[in-house]
Amino acid sequence: MTKQTSTPKVRLRNVSKQFVAARTGQLTTAVTDVNLDIQTGEFICVVGPSGCGKSTVMNLIAGLDTATSGSIEANSAPIQGPGADRGVMFQDYALMPWMSFHDNIGFGLNYGTPGKGLSREQREQRIRHFIELVGLEGSEKKYPHQLSGGMRQRVALARLLANEPDILLMDEPLGALDAQTRLILQVELLRIWGETSPLDARKTALFITHDIDEAVFLGDRVVVMSTHPGRVKAVISIDLPRPRTEHVRAEPRFGELVEQIWKLIRDEAYRAIDGKAAATEKAAA
Amino acid sequence: MTTTVAPKSTAPTRILQMTLLPVILIIVWQLWAMLLASDPRTPVPTRIVTTFVDLVANGGLVGALVQSLTRVVSGFAIAFVFGATLGLLMGSYPRLRNLLDPIIETFRPLAPMAILPIVLLWFGTGTPAATAIVTYAAFFPLLLNTVHGVSRVDRKLVLAASTMGVSKPVILARVVLPAALPSVMLGARLAMGIAWTAIIAAELGVGAKSGGGTSGGIGQMMFVFYSYSIDLNAIVVCMIVVGVVALAIDRIFRFAERRLMPWRQ
Repeated sequence: MTKQTSTPKVRLRNVSKQFVAARTGQLTTAVTDVNLDIQTGEFICVVGPSGCGKSTVMNLIAGLDTATSGSIEANSAPIQGPGADRGVMFQDYALMPWMSFHDNIGFGLNYGTPGKGLSREQREQRIRHFIELVGLEGSEKKYPHQLSGGMRQRVALARLLANEPDILLMDEPLGALDAQTRLILQVELLRIWGETSPLDARKTALFITHDIDEAVFLGDRVVVMSTHPGRVKAVISIDLPRPRTEHVRAEPRFGELVEQIWKLIRDEAYRAIDGKAAATEKAAA
Repeated sequence: MTTTVAPKSTAPTRILQMTLLPVILIIVWQLWAMLLASDPRTPVPTRIVTTFVDLVANGGLVGALVQSLTRVVSGFAIAFVFGATLGLLMGSYPRLRNLLDPIIETFRPLAPMAILPIVLLWFGTGTPAATAIVTYAAFFPLLLNTVHGVSRVDRKLVLAASTMGVSKPVILARVVLPAALPSVMLGARLAMGIAWTAIIAAELGVGAKSGGGTSGGIGQMMFVFYSYSIDLNAIVVCMIVVGVVALAIDRIFRFAERRLMPWRQ
């Protein structure tokens, strides 16, 4: 699944990010010494307890933030600011409240580089295609505040995909969905990513989630991160066959992988809870 | 906290509720003027109505109103161009904001009428002077609300646009401006209300210097009625017209807000 045949699509070398906390004025390390190669067509999932710097890594690749040290490359070129080759789906969707769903999905096509060289009809056609793909027919004239979090998430996903970025960067994109919709969109996402296509026709994806089950279901590899400071603890190859369907969850290997990843983050997760419990007890005493 | 569900009034009931008190007040006023008031100059509702009809018929009231409204609209337009543009720049560039803030905060509390002496010296007593006062009055609410709106634009939206290969000028036009629009519109509505207040004061302050008549606007018309004929009925007519026009302006702006920003309920 991860043949090292060509130069990686994204390469992080000894990447660290420190920032000065606004409130305390203290120097805080978000992530330290991150090394990661993402191959073309690979689906990478990132899991880890909150505060491990998952989102920081994504922002650095997106060019929304700059690393304190180390190097980040996309397509063998250092990343200098954001670009439409690396599409981002934000945790809180970042939809334009004054635009209908239709216009939100077409935002990049109509105003950004992804629409360059496309006629009005071609752009409209693509918008329609993605409205149908995420099942939003009939709601395209509505505004974001008029519909549920799940619907908005679909719009954000459609907007990301309509821009046809080379690299998909997604920060807990399915987090706000109910369990059933989530399972359906996971399969859908794999199809859109190109699971049934040959390796070189697939998009490259970085998918942040707190859901281990989701990470195992989607990923070619799962990056496990840990806190204090944020760093990569392990990278687990997911050797489940593709294309994957719901049935893959019933396979023993699926459970083993989930168990293996859970073991890696369990201690820290418990410690976080214990820490909170201890603090509560202290406050109560 | 408890929420009480108010009984929903139908439109006719609501109109009845809203007109009840004014009607009672007018009746009491009429009775008082007819039975108790001794001074013949006391304004009376019936005489106010006949004065109103006269003033409309001879064209004086409408002419003065159009004159005042023209000044308000042109003064507001000038203030809008400068206030919104400068507000957009100050909201986008904190350094510019720091540079200009002290000056703006010094002049902002200054009532529009306080600059009247200087305006009279610079522009004389005609339309340019009145328009200048309106511009001054309308400028600050527009500027400050635009700055507020622009500086509070959700940064996530700007970042999202930048990840879609949208250039900086287009982000300004397609993200920052629409995101700030509710604040700008609020500023415009406040500015228009203040502008209408300021024009009446300005025209009153300019006085009858320019000869009176309709050319002075409705404020000057009031001054003329006050200083030459002591016609209180006519002055009350002007007061009511000024109030009704202010209400109409406010409603037009609220309507425009709903039309321009259908995403806000």
